[in-house]
Amino acid sequence: MTAEQMGKVSNRLRFAFAIASVLFVASLAVSPVKDLLREWKQYKRGYARFAEGRPDTKALLADFHPGIDQIWIPELNVTDRCVTCHQGIMQPSLGDPSVPEPFRAHSPIPHGVKDWGCVVCHRGQGLATEAQEAHETTQAWERPLLPASYIQASCGACHRAGIPETPRLDRGRQLLVELNCVGCHRLQDIERPAMLGPDLTDVGTKVTRQWIYKWLKEPRTVTDSNGNITINGVENEVEPKMPQFRLGEDEIRALSAYLISLQSKPVEPYKFNPQVVAALGKKPDLVDQGQVRFRQMFCTTCHSVAVTRAGETQLIGGDIGPELTKVGSKVDPDWLVAWLRDPQANLPHALMPRYRWSDEDLYLVTRYITSSLTDPDLISDVPKLGPPAPQETQLGKRLFVEKGCSSCHLAAGTKPQTDFGPDLTNVGGKTVSQLEFGTSSIPRTLVSYIQAKVGDPASVNPSARMPQYHFKAGDLEAVTTALLSMTGRPETPARAALVIAPSHPEFRPAGEFARLFERYKCYVCHRFNGSGGTLAPDLSYEGSRAQRKWLISFLKNPQTVRPTLTFRMPQFNMTDEEAATMADYLEMVMQSPDVDIGGVDPKTLTPQMATSGKQLYDVKYQCQSCHTIGATGGYVGPNLNNVGNWLNAAWIAAWLKNPQALAPGAIEPRREFTDQELLALTAYLVTLRQNPQAGGTARTAGAPGGTR
Amino acid sequence: MKAKAAAVLLGFMALMLYVSCGRKPAPSKPDVLVNAYDVQQDWNDANHLIPLEYQPAQGKRLFFDNCVWCHADSTPAGPSNRSNLSPTPALINDGTVLNTLSDDYLRNVITLGGSALGKSAMMPPWGKTLTQDDIQALISYIRVVAQPPYRAPARPQPQYSVR
Repeated sequence: MTAEQMGKVSNRLRFAFAIASVLFVASLAVSPVKDLLREWKQYKRGYARFAEGRPDTKALLADFHPGIDQIWIPELNVTDRCVTCHQGIMQPSLGDPSVPEPFRAHSPIPHGVKDWGCVVCHRGQGLATEAQEAHETTQAWERPLLPASYIQASCGACHRAGIPETPRLDRGRQLLVELNCVGCHRLQDIERPAMLGPDLTDVGTKVTRQWIYKWLKEPRTVTDSNGNITINGVENEVEPKMPQFRLGEDEIRALSAYLISLQSKPVEPYKFNPQVVAALGKKPDLVDQGQVRFRQMFCTTCHSVAVTRAGETQLIGGDIGPELTKVGSKVDPDWLVAWLRDPQANLPHALMPRYRWSDEDLYLVTRYITSSLTDPDLISDVPKLGPPAPQETQLGKRLFVEKGCSSCHLAAGTKPQTDFGPDLTNVGGKTVSQLEFGTSSIPRTLVSYIQAKVGDPASVNPSARMPQYHFKAGDLEAVTTALLSMTGRPETPARAALVIAPSHPEFRPAGEFARLFERYKCYVCHRFNGSGGTLAPDLSYEGSRAQRKWLISFLKNPQTVRPTLTFRMPQFNMTDEEAATMADYLEMVMQSPDVDIGGVDPKTLTPQMATSGKQLYDVKYQCQSCHTIGATGGYVGPNLNNVGNWLNAAWIAAWLKNPQALAPGAIEPRREFTDQELLALTAYLVTLRQNPQAGGTARTAGAPGGTR
Repeated sequence: MKAKAAAVLLGFMALMLYVSCGRKPAPSKPDVLVNAYDVQQDWNDANHLIPLEYQPAQGKRLFFDNCVWCHADSTPAGPSNRSNLSPTPALINDGTVLNTLSDDYLRNVITLGGSALGKSAMMPPWGKTLTQDDIQALISYIRVVAQPPYRAPARPQPQYSVR
């Protein structure tokens, strides 16, 4: 090789070496450049720039450092680097909506970010340092962020007892109970009640096969002449408990055949007193009188009826019992009488009280129901069914079990079924790979899965046995939130220690009162020591509150205490002894530890005190803005016309001192009365008495001693 | 030869640049209502839903528990008590009245009642019934639902720049 050639080769080598060095330097530069351009570093620099443009730069940058920020709480299994990008999350001055994300402050919440981290509530991947990995589902992470509208599910993971701050979660939990989801599914904290649907053992004596057919086909929705979907013929927003099942024509025929065959014992027609029937039967306004009695007894506190006023039809009444608009065309008249006389004999778990009917009332009310609450066209679109064929009945019996009917209903020869549907106690903790989306095109997330499954079960699984529910706006989201809150076992022992489990206090009275308590079903509407319904006042402290005499007269003839209430206590036609027994029990047992009954002696309240109390009521505190005395005043608090006969003086004083101590959540504001003012107001209020003979008219007794 | 090498070099650098910057997350458009803790329907326009954050959402709850009876024309339990009162209380969303009142004034009138501020004694004091956090939540709710919309008073401009 010549020197020239050697030179050429070495030149080439040099050149190659030069290129290789440049490449090497470039490849070395990749790493720092890549590092410099990291997403979180861009946000860090962005925040520093942003903070400099704010007036409180110093405070905003007080904790700033260029590295990754994280919140580490090992006992909660929290390592959250979210604060690396969301840097203003704890800065109160950055709460304004004009502050760009991710720098905006968190809306003030009871749980500080420092103590709880982020993922405990928001889910997502706390360790991630890229927005997409932190927020969304990736191959390595299947718990994406929970949209804020479902965030109450996270509150519910620990606050299983329910808190006022989470209305959507509470609504969802309430719906899960109301819609009888526990009939088929196992749910966290929701017990399977004794009664889900009616016992169908004798349904054949109650309704016709045609009615069953219609009910199974469309248990709630009937299209009216304008094509509007209505419920039982009336537009209604309440979802009845019996949902719509996807049943074929043959299946409905078979089920109706089976159900109509369920007649273990025939209904024995009740023999009315012939004199009553003869006297009432001649009256031309028999049905109208029946309607008056129906209203006077306040059946509508629990049952709703469609009422047309000024061309607009709407449902009036409560939803504890079934809607009755067309019940006269549904039930057998003899069955109706038997039911009203003793509901529990037909259905042991029925919530309906056993009224003490007079023959007159029973005759009038049943005649009203069977002749006015009817619809001749109710089953006009049902095909001719005829007597049930044996093979139809056989098929129906099989379907009754296969379709899950026996999860909620009892029938002769079938066993009540539990766990018909999947266990949902951990549904909120499921990962996407555990879900079957089928052929549906919904987004692959847990939230959209639950929503699709609950809203339209067939959209995810065409052969789903789950019935179709019709949710009104917001309720589907509420149910989804409640289901998302059921996350099964807590991740760490520290989290398990945080769980506030719901308590289910029981109130089991004894003796004669217990018998009446069960007969008149007081607990369906009233609450006693934390157990019972919420429709009517809590009676846990009724003994401290009301006078015995008033209680007896109220039980005998419940008048309204608050004029704006649409739901009033029905008239049970109690006997004197029954009312006295109840009043005695309430007076003796239902006492508040905060009220010293002997603490305020009415005898020490002088007319002078009452006069100054009236001044305070009228002028200084203007209580008339919410309370009515005579014919003037507001509708927010109870009418005080008869308060002197109604409440104990000690209760009035204790209530004025601190209403929330006696009734948590009472809306009467707590004020700073002096002890003197307290007694003066009490003295004034106990003078307000209504003459029982005056009937409904409000007569107000002025303060004795005259007013100035 | 040199041109080829330069091209290779450029290509390599472009590749590196792509690797380092190429995985920018696609900007997602968040749905306002899906990202709201709660929602309040506008009283004057049923189609207008106002998203609420946690604090105003608590204000909404407290409003419907305590205030709705007099500060709205209809209540969940039936007719409103508002028409009963004189002077007539302001509607909760009446921006023409409430927007002119500062947060401090609202906090005082809710805490101490009308008579303490020379207004009607029919507005009771809520300071012993509600906590200060509750009252702050109510104020934030009043601000969010106000029609015409509420605009916070402009922040005083800094006198000097930190730079």
